Amino acid sequence: MAMTKTQRRNAFSAFRYLMLTFWLLIVAFPIFWMVSTSFKPDSEWFAWPPVYISENATLQNYLVVWADVSEYATNEKGELQTYTQSLQRPWEALGNSAIISVIATTLSVLFGSVLAYGVSRYQILSEGRMFQLLMLRMVPPIVLVAPISIWYSSLGLLDTILGLVMLYFLTTLPYAVWMSKSFIDEVPREMEQAAEILGASRARTIWEVVLPLVRSGLVATFLFILILTWSEYLLALLLSKTAVVTLPVELSKYQGSTEGRVYGRQAALSVGITLPLIVVGMIIRKHLARGFSFGMVRR
Amino acid sequence: MSRIELVDLRKEYGNVVAVKAMDLTIEDGEFIVFVGPSGCGKTTTLRMIAGFEDPTNGEIRIDGTVVNEKEPGDRDLGMVFQSHALFPHKNVADNIAFGLRMKKVPQDEQAARVKEVSELVRITHLLGKMPAQCSGGESQRIALARTLVTEPSNFLLDEPLSSLDAKLRRELRAECDRLHDELQKTFIYVTHDQEEAMTLADRIIVMNQGEIVQQGTPMEIYSDPVSYFVADFFGNPAMNLIDGEFAKSGDGMEFKSGHFDIPLPIKFSAVTPGSGTLGIRPENVGIGASSGGATIEREVELVEPLGKDTLLYFETEEARPFVAVIEGTEEVKRHANVTINFPDDAIFLFDGNGDRIR
Repeated sequence: MAMTKTQRRNAFSAFRYLMLTFWLLIVAFPIFWMVSTSFKPDSEWFAWPPVYISENATLQNYLVVWADVSEYATNEKGELQTYTQSLQRPWEALGNSAIISVIATTLSVLFGSVLAYGVSRYQILSEGRMFQLLMLRMVPPIVLVAPISIWYSSLGLLDTILGLVMLYFLTTLPYAVWMSKSFIDEVPREMEQAAEILGASRARTIWEVVLPLVRSGLVATFLFILILTWSEYLLALLLSKTAVVTLPVELSKYQGSTEGRVYGRQAALSVGITLPLIVVGMIIRKHLARGFSFGMVRR
Repeated sequence: MSRIELVDLRKEYGNVVAVKAMDLTIEDGEFIVFVGPSGCGKTTTLRMIAGFEDPTNGEIRIDGTVVNEKEPGDRDLGMVFQSHALFPHKNVADNIAFGLRMKKVPQDEQAARVKEVSELVRITHLLGKMPAQCSGGESQRIALARTLVTEPSNFLLDEPLSSLDAKLRRELRAECDRLHDELQKTFIYVTHDQEEAMTLADRIIVMNQGEIVQQGTPMEIYSDPVSYFVADFFGNPAMNLIDGEFAKSGDGMEFKSGHFDIPLPIKFSAVTPGSGTLGIRPENVGIGASSGGATIEREVELVEPLGKDTLLYFETEEARPFVAVIEGTEEVKRHANVTINFPDDAIFLFDGNGDRIR
């Protein structure tokens, strides 16, 4: 039986929602698993069949990781014994990560957008140069690590906050230039010229006309780069030893030959890593919707 | 007083010459329309006057002062853009007040002038709205108000109406005319629409390939085009232009082309034989009764009644049909044979280079 136009449209709509739901499940499952595991007692970390939502939910993982509460375990003789994971410093790592990624991202967006303005309006970089800039991102980071660590060690930048800030700033700059350029390109030149002929200075025009129109885009760029630097692992692992530990590096310490596989603790730490990004995203969500949809300027 | 002089003005982009050595004086209070096809250099010229483009060569003088080195904001100009270029994040009142704020006009005077100018262009009801809430026509009025409020001596308008639909365009065209009348300021208007040029201009500057090809009042341009290009550009429907040959025929000359062999009026007896073009405006083509001049018989291919007038189409050698306009919805049927009349004084001739033969 042939479907009417309305039926066809409804069927398509249902199919679309089905696909989206399916996709959402795939994407959301790891996050669900992380949160779920973070509340599981140790006996359920490896349980088979797997425990999806623990009936014995506990805050123990959080307390151990974030509040440094001592853990108890039975030793071979059957005695209760305390042991602490003295190597782990999650709060310090959180602080380092916050400082490094916020400073590096701010610098990157600041310099990147200024550069992008020059490219967009004055072609200070040719198209070829712009692609070369992007190509910087195609270099596998591992290639950079050896020369940079040699260089950094002679400069005394190894294992320092400044060292990581510099590196993150430079490696994310191409993204900042490319992303903010796309937003600046969206602002018609005529709009700036209209301000100019009405007597506004260059600085005034940028401040009053360009900036308000690209603000959402810059916020979106900021978040994008913040996520990159916040979760960067390889460079942080290889260019820091002990003094400066970032969260992704810290996370790796919960799984290894000496630590075993403490999934619950790791999950509790992961939640702590993810949460700040979600909070930032919530705060600026108004800008994100606008920034990523490029919808501010009506032509 | 404000007089704009362009002296030997030239603009090159790499190897491309956008404007070739232009000399032009625009008098105070004149309504000047630059018209021509896209790429003819009209917008580049306007942008040089505004100060957005630096001339490669030559001078721009406003009131006798060379302004080449002056910033756009210091040239005593107002400009309306094709895209309106309203600031989307400011409401209408703030958009209009922008120029006053930049010029540090006191707050209360700003408000008074915004009110005054929005009454002038009839947008007082829009002042609290955001530009995105306004229609295209309203946006253009706001853009006008934003320019008017700073009271410049010269207004530059860059295809201000081309993004609007036909009805609004006519409405705002009349508005432009009214404003020019009321303000008595210099208007420099760029358009590719010959109808806008005809209706608005005191003086039309016809440009092609970076050069002024003709300038004059709308009637001069219409009735006395200097070249094939100008003849073709002005008038709606466009002038009939038939390519063919001029040949001797007895004492006089004859125009020969496949479908139209027409003896030429006596004043053209001295035309050099060779290839050329014959032009006649559709509204000057006579149908039926002869009013002197050459006549030929042809079959009507298509009849297009427009209400007040009717267009008759005839087959030609070229893709473009030969068109005649007759008044009313006279009973001329498709495929009927009619007499086409070429009144002597309605015939234009152009030589092989497209220059007018007089």
